[in-house]
Amino acid sequence: MLESYIPIMLVLSFALIFAVVMINLSSLLGPSKPDKEKLSTYESGMEPIGTARERFSVKYYMVAVSFILFDLEVVFLYPWAISFINFPKAEMVYSLIVALIFIFILFVGLIYEYKKGVLKWD
Amino acid sequence: MEQTIISLKNFIPECVLIVTILVCLLADLIVRKKSAVVAVIGIAGLFVSGWFVIGQFGVKESVFFGMVVIDPYSVFFKLLFIVSTVFIILFSLASKEIKDSTHTNEHVYLMISLTLGANLMASSVNMLMMYLALETVSITSYVLAGYMKKSKRSSEAAMKYVIYGAASSGIMIYAMSLLYGYTGSMNIFEISSILSKMGGTNPMLVIVMVMILAGFGYKISSVPFHFWTPDVYEGAPIPVTGFLAVTSSAAGFAVLIRFFSVTFLKSTTMLNGSLQIIDGIRWTEIIIVLSVASMIIGNFVAVWQMSFKRLLAYSSIAQGGYIMLGLVVANQQGLTAIFVYLVAYMIMNLGAFYALIMISNKLNSDDINDMKGFAYRAPAVAVGMGIFMFALSGIPATVGFVGKFYLFSALIESNMIWLALVGMMNSVVSLFFYIKVLKYMFLSKPDEENSGKIYYGIAGYVLLFILVIPTLLLGIYFGPIVRFAEMSAVMFGLK
Amino acid sequence: MIYYTILFYVFAVLAVATAFYVVFAKNVIHSAFALFGTLFAVAGLFVLLNADFIAITQIMVYVGGILVLMIFGVMLTTKIADIDIHTKNLNRIPAILFSTGITVILIFILFTTKWNIKPQVQNQETVSQIGKLMLTTYLLPFEIASIVLLVALVGSAMYARKTK
Repeated sequence: MLESYIPIMLVLSFALIFAVVMINLSSLLGPSKPDKEKLSTYESGMEPIGTARERFSVKYYMVAVSFILFDLEVVFLYPWAISFINFPKAEMVYSLIVALIFIFILFVGLIYEYKKGVLKWD
Repeated sequence: MEQTIISLKNFIPECVLIVTILVCLLADLIVRKKSAVVAVIGIAGLFVSGWFVIGQFGVKESVFFGMVVIDPYSVFFKLLFIVSTVFIILFSLASKEIKDSTHTNEHVYLMISLTLGANLMASSVNMLMMYLALETVSITSYVLAGYMKKSKRSSEAAMKYVIYGAASSGIMIYAMSLLYGYTGSMNIFEISSILSKMGGTNPMLVIVMVMILAGFGYKISSVPFHFWTPDVYEGAPIPVTGFLAVTSSAAGFAVLIRFFSVTFLKSTTMLNGSLQIIDGIRWTEIIIVLSVASMIIGNFVAVWQMSFKRLLAYSSIAQGGYIMLGLVVANQQGLTAIFVYLVAYMIMNLGAFYALIMISNKLNSDDINDMKGFAYRAPAVAVGMGIFMFALSGIPATVGFVGKFYLFSALIESNMIWLALVGMMNSVVSLFFYIKVLKYMFLSKPDEENSGKIYYGIAGYVLLFILVIPTLLLGIYFGPIVRFAEMSAVMFGLK
Repeated sequence: MIYYTILFYVFAVLAVATAFYVVFAKNVIHSAFALFGTLFAVAGLFVLLNADFIAITQIMVYVGGILVLMIFGVMLTTKIADIDIHTKNLNRIPAILFSTGITVILIFILFTTKWNIKPQVQNQETVSQIGKLMLTTYLLPFEIASIVLLVALVGSAMYARKTK
């Protein structure tokens, strides 16, 4: 069982090691002669305007919240979808209805968001 | 599949509530402004659901694979929740705070969702379902507490509520995981039979009980989990405050009483009407501590409050303490007393909150100082408020007295006289601050600049009257509620 | 099985260390990013417990969703980087005593209790079993979860929507 995770572990550890090594290597090997121009923020040659810590609009937040809620919907439906094929023929309709009720209730929520203009981006 | 269909037959009330939520939501999207239509649909749905709940009287069945049960106990609570939700929705139509909010009709279906969660709390016998139902109630009440978006206090209330709620339900679910790790089951009947074999000497069980009480105790705002109560009550709009005080805390009691009555039994057969608790497990003693602390802190702190909502918050902490007294005796009589008290509690608290809505609609304040001489300006409302205050303090000939009488007599009959005495002394203290409100209303003259008469619409007086009648009538003619409570004090799985 | 134990301790140490950083970091954005490590390590622990579905859920919902939401929440707030989020001298000693007490008690019951340990089975994937349970035993929680999500959706839309 756990053996099937070895590739994931390999990829993860490779990514981690690669990133750490590369960043440190470039700072180790590269010449370092800082001056005022080099240390200033690079914005395609323009002078930087304002601060980097700008506030986000609440719209992004709403998108993130909706994302999580529908993400959870997917999480709930995923095992249902996997086990659907294993059901006896007689119970397939039943399990479909069960999932459709679940989807419908959340669909009403989506209609709510849409109608209330939460998803509007102007 | 077959079992699901059989279960659905016993689950019609909740299905009706779910459909009502969806219909109200869609109706709200169609009308797109504040309108009584959505509230009317909601109330109609609640009535239909209530009608099906009445049909369940006498049924004793476990449905949905042992997740929830239908028994007289849960039917009682469902009726209580549905009735109080109907009143609260009516209150919210009258409330100026709700009218001035930027939302359209969201409160109606949020309140019905809370009722659905509360119904499930009253009937669930599986720890997972208990937690889910509790979260349904909690999330809905967080949203409702911050209903007035423009008001800073309301947002603060919601924020505090979320933080306290998250912390306490986290503690509770941790304890549930410990209990699951010990017994290997989430169904409270199975846990009970496993624990009865293992015996109750394990120190872990004490920790589990205390930690689970953190979750349930937070819902019923029992000391020491009560710190959110005054701030949330003060910040939330008054109908929501009333809703939290009545439905949300009664739901907390429903799940708390069932959990503690069933989980730690050595045998499900009652002995002369009392529960047979496993030797060595002393949850009644933990409950005594919480109950006495709630009564004392609630009543004594309430004395200093000048905000009416904060006063009612501390008053409901204390009332929660009284209700827990009925659980301490752990027998049929105590449960009956709790039910009588809960009916009384619902009626008089709904009344007090409605009278407060009427007052603060006109005064735009809930400060007791601003209510000086209110009896001269609107005598009918002040008299109504007086009756509810007397009932809350437990003066004879009101419904509050009946509740207290049954609680204290249950205590005395099981030889817990000192607890009954503590309860009575606390009632005397509580009399002081309930009367204080009336003193300001009746005995002080109103300020010169605002001493004009205040008038309400006929509907307002009718609703007040509907609440005053049972407060007085059931105080004298209390046979029906006592019989109803006796019939309802039957839990699934206990013989 | 020695690898199993080593991996367990790697993930456990990672989870606890990053959790400490979340609590003690001066900058709230650093806390949010350190939470990434905690959630990820917990996902690793779930994998070691043969709970593959929970592990994926952990990564999908917590790392992919809730963490992003938290970082948005940080960025929505004005001048959050400049605010010192640490509350000062608020009952520090009672708090330390209380939490140490609770830790000691929990560790004590962890070692003294006879837990109900199921025999270890070489599990196959758990997803289809969870799916089957969702349609039978846990049918009701499954459907009620949709109501909870609906309420959360309505509530968040009510709060976060711009009002005219």
